[in-house]
Amino acid sequence: MPVQGIRTVTAARNGVGAFILQCKQLDFHYCDWAGSSRGMVAFLKHQLPAFAKANPQIEIRVSPRPHKHPVIKGHYINGREKAICVRNLEPEQIFNKANLLKEASGEKLKRTKKPITSLNESVRGIWSPYHGGFKSV
Amino acid sequence: MFSRTALARAFALPVEQCAHFSVARACLHSAATASTTTTTQPQAPLSATPRVQTSAPSTKPPASAPLDPASLKKPVAPTFTKPLELNQSLLSQLPNLTSQQPHYIISHLHDKPYLLTQGDQIRLPFLMPNVKPGDVLRFNRASVLGSREFSLKGAPYVDERLYECRVRVMGVDSEPLRIKEKTKRRRRHVQQVRSKHKYTLLRVMDVKIKTAEELLQEGAVVVDETA
Repeated sequence: MPVQGIRTVTAARNGVGAFILQCKQLDFHYCDWAGSSRGMVAFLKHQLPAFAKANPQIEIRVSPRPHKHPVIKGHYINGREKAICVRNLEPEQIFNKANLLKEASGEKLKRTKKPITSLNESVRGIWSPYHGGFKSV
Repeated sequence: MFSRTALARAFALPVEQCAHFSVARACLHSAATASTTTTTQPQAPLSATPRVQTSAPSTKPPASAPLDPASLKKPVAPTFTKPLELNQSLLSQLPNLTSQQPHYIISHLHDKPYLLTQGDQIRLPFLMPNVKPGDVLRFNRASVLGSREFSLKGAPYVDERLYECRVRVMGVDSEPLRIKEKTKRRRRHVQQVRSKHKYTLLRVMDVKIKTAEELLQEGAVVVDETA
């Protein structure tokens, strides 16, 4: 008899009971020498402590990346990551970018037409022409 | 539309679960930081103590701080002038609907209908202002409540005291960059218009239709239409 995997009986639906923010980690990379990192260095010095304190559920890492443009990388629960280059940006703009990464779902950007995605079966069932009170054929 | 008025009550159950989960995740993170030592060591760990990710600060009633311009825009608490009236036909038919799970609700937000069941994910066609991830909203405008075989239709809307529909704000999603090329006649120039809209993600926490006993307990009165 072949080995059979265990079937999942439930699908995880974050937010129905408990809620976990999708962004789990933010990496801030900067360069001490380059001018494109000037805003990033100012952000790290003055605004990052408050940002980290306001978002204790996000792990925040700061590391130098010499001779490169500054980058913010967000790591998400679904395993994906998003990177935003913040070269030559002001600290306020960088703050907005960090907020964007914080609130993002981590999914690949898609254009969707339907607003609702559901895992549930249709409540009302599938329409059948042979049932129900139709008046004429 | 939605109201934040009943949020404090909404938190009664989820808060405990939230606390449980976020503690577990915070532990995971601290373990990860310990194993892979980064080059910079801040004195105070930036990923600090576990905290419940809820919207508790934003759920403060706006009446307490009327001077804040942001709070003035918030929807006011519903003030019902008279108790919910139930007639005999509704009382006799309501058990059919409430006893048949699962339920759906056609909820209206900015006059657009959304057919919702528990656990659905909604990507609103707009960016909802003044909300942040973790907030709980209560939808209070519905045209239809239903199950597989029964439905309760409003004219045009069902009274909001008959049901509870809560959604959680999950975050903000974005669409891929769209570039539209615009041309004018006899002009050899193509203008490019870029747009990248943002959308709010919601998750339906519960769709609950109250039973007749619950309604009577909450102060509904039975009216006799024959008299």
